[in-house]
Amino acid sequence: MMRRNTQSSCVHYPSQSVLSLRDIHRRFGHTIAVDGLTLEVRAGEVFGLLGPNGAGKSTTIAIATGLLAPDAGAVDLLGLGSPANPKVRMHLGLAPQEITLYAELTARENLRFFADLYGVSNARARVDDLLALVELDARATDRVATFSGGMKRRLNLAAALVHDPKLVLLDEPTAGVDPQSRNRILELVRRLASEGKTILYTTHYMEEAAKICDRVGIVDHGRMLDVGTVADLIARHGGQSAVTVERDGAEERILTADPVAEVARQFARANSDRERGEVGREVTGLRIERPDLETVFLSLTGRSLRE
Amino acid sequence: MRAIFAIARKDLRLLLRDKGDVFFTFVFPVVIAILFGFVFGGGSNSGSKLELAVVRESDSVLALGIEEDLANDAAFETTAFPTRDAAADAVRAGKVTAAVILPKSLDSGLEGLFSGQGIAIDAVVDPSRRAEAGLIQGKLNELAFRQFPKLFANGDEMKRAFSAARTSIASARGMSPTQKLLGAGMITAAESFTSSIGDEDASTNASGGGANGAAGNTADFTPIRVKVEELAPRAGRPRASFDVTFPQGIVWGLAGCFGAFASSLVTERARGTLDRLRLAPITAFHLISGKAIACLVAGLLVQALVFAVALTFFGSQIAQPAMLVVACFAAAFAFAGLAMALAAFCRTEAEANGAGRGAILILALIGGGTIPLFFMPPFLRTLSYGSPFRWAVAAIEGPFWRDTPVSEQVVPLVVLIAIGFLGWIIGARALWRPFAR
Ligand SMILES: Nc1ncnc2c1ncn2[C@@H]1O[C@H](COP(=O)(O)OP(=O)(O)O)[C@@H](O)[C@H]1O
Ligand SMILES: [Mg+2]
Repeated sequence: MMRRNTQSSCVHYPSQSVLSLRDIHRRFGHTIAVDGLTLEVRAGEVFGLLGPNGAGKSTTIAIATGLLAPDAGAVDLLGLGSPANPKVRMHLGLAPQEITLYAELTARENLRFFADLYGVSNARARVDDLLALVELDARATDRVATFSGGMKRRLNLAAALVHDPKLVLLDEPTAGVDPQSRNRILELVRRLASEGKTILYTTHYMEEAAKICDRVGIVDHGRMLDVGTVADLIARHGGQSAVTVERDGAEERILTADPVAEVARQFARANSDRERGEVGREVTGLRIERPDLETVFLSLTGRSLRE
Repeated sequence: MRAIFAIARKDLRLLLRDKGDVFFTFVFPVVIAILFGFVFGGGSNSGSKLELAVVRESDSVLALGIEEDLANDAAFETTAFPTRDAAADAVRAGKVTAAVILPKSLDSGLEGLFSGQGIAIDAVVDPSRRAEAGLIQGKLNELAFRQFPKLFANGDEMKRAFSAARTSIASARGMSPTQKLLGAGMITAAESFTSSIGDEDASTNASGGGANGAAGNTADFTPIRVKVEELAPRAGRPRASFDVTFPQGIVWGLAGCFGAFASSLVTERARGTLDRLRLAPITAFHLISGKAIACLVAGLLVQALVFAVALTFFGSQIAQPAMLVVACFAAAFAFAGLAMALAAFCRTEAEANGAGRGAILILALIGGGTIPLFFMPPFLRTLSYGSPFRWAVAAIEGPFWRDTPVSEQVVPLVVLIAIGFLGWIIGARALWRPFAR
């Protein structure tokens, strides 16, 4: 019996699976940081872990990388077993939530150091490529201490890539940067995905998740509430769209599953009103509100994502 | 291996870019060495007694008298030693400041005094104790003179001495007739002088004679000659107090290295870079070794710098260059190991800075960092065996200026290397658990 169970659980991991967490538990004293979380990241996708501060995202990342041991549950990377094994964790790269670089070393020295740690061959060329990739080649010989927040973030990300890992874990890689830098980082993530990397991306910004993630998992209180594409999640939990029609300063809010049809209906009504000579009932404004991940989070937790 | 060197190179870079660390590791030690060099060079008068080894080879009244007076003198703390060699070893080991030898020739008592040879007393001093050497020399002259009234008071001894002196002067080949005449005249004068001599006169004479003896000039006739021999005499160049203080500077340099590296692991933990290190395919042993190598290299750099300054600006000379290099390696190795042991145990930066720098300050102090070992009261000197700094100083001084035989340098070297290995292993083991998770 036991044996069959083990076998069947192996069958559950598709060959596509890059990272698999099963029923992970972890607490810190009385705080339950991760509470039976299960997730699977598939090859080539950008998987977003979306949840508010304190949801357990970073703890999950630490467990996924083998930096932290779970109290219970299993972690598997690429079907090779636990990343606590150095041979296994070779295949992942982590950009931690905090900037973890040597501030007194230059950008190039930092990357070169990490490349040497991993025994990267042709390290010099690799470091130059990465500096170009994150657009820091012009500042390569400047100390990290002199960098802006966005530049540090980009270098922090580059340091996760030195050994060309299959899975890249980015823990809130846009925290504390200006909007322009944020867009550069998001583009970079998409570019990595298009080059075949698998990415686990955590954030508490639903716009980011919606913009770059192929699939999103919603976490709160250490639990995975639902997983799917953004469209799936909205379809499941977003509820109806709202069409707001404004006539003579008065607003009418109409809930509908098909807002485009509703708008068309509103226009048709306005036209026929005009033909019948009814005045004073002109439509002066029209607004569509589609449900988004924020709505999804609200419906799943009863709270707003950005409290 | 590449990872280890990458870590070592990275940590050295970080050290050299931290102004505080650079100051405490490289600048402070040189400043200390020079400053203390001038302080100790200006003559030392510590209130404590000078420790003397006394080797009495003669059983004569004169020898016994000097020995007794030395023992009763407030300035000295004497210990009897059986042989010259044993006493010289004690001086070399810093257990006593000087050794006084009351040679067999004192058997002839006063006869020697008038035979043109004078009374010979030998003293062996540590070359770093030149200031004390003068004091000891003067004191010995004084004590020797003080024996005279006792001898003169003994009539038989007197008569025997004068007649022996007459015979030896008459038969002396190296003396001109004029000198012989003068000598005979002096003896006659002395014979009549002895009846009126008193204690006070003796002491007055003593200081004059002492100065004469201390100058070490071989005048034709010096009644008492105290020959001071330095343990490792070096032709033409007086040993300076800097020889003592530069190894002290090294102690502080090693302390600086230790401080910088003891906190470096904690800093990595606090800044999160330790996570990146843990993710890399390296073990705790790689990490500790990389850091220890950086600490070792920094330690060697400090020592090279201190010696460069000592040789260039202070005229120091190295007695055994090859052994000195070995000693420097051993010292740096010991402190690298110690730093790693502490680094792995401390969990916070405050802990590492507090415990690390605090402990090292105390160890440096009792290990001879500020007060040279031979100035220390005995209980402190015993305590100093517990300080790795003491062993570093011992290991470095031996080949630097003491010129001790290699066989005597083995113990400090072995102690230092053992400390280094132990620290290294303890560090790697302590780090292993959190690292392996
Ligand atoms: N090392 C730790 N010690 C104690 N509590 C922790 C620790 N790490 C995380 N926590 C707690 O676990 C919960 C989840 O934290 P975290 O995983 O950092 O969330 P997120 O990354 O989603 O903001 C929080 O309540 C946090 O305070
Ligand atoms: Mg977090």
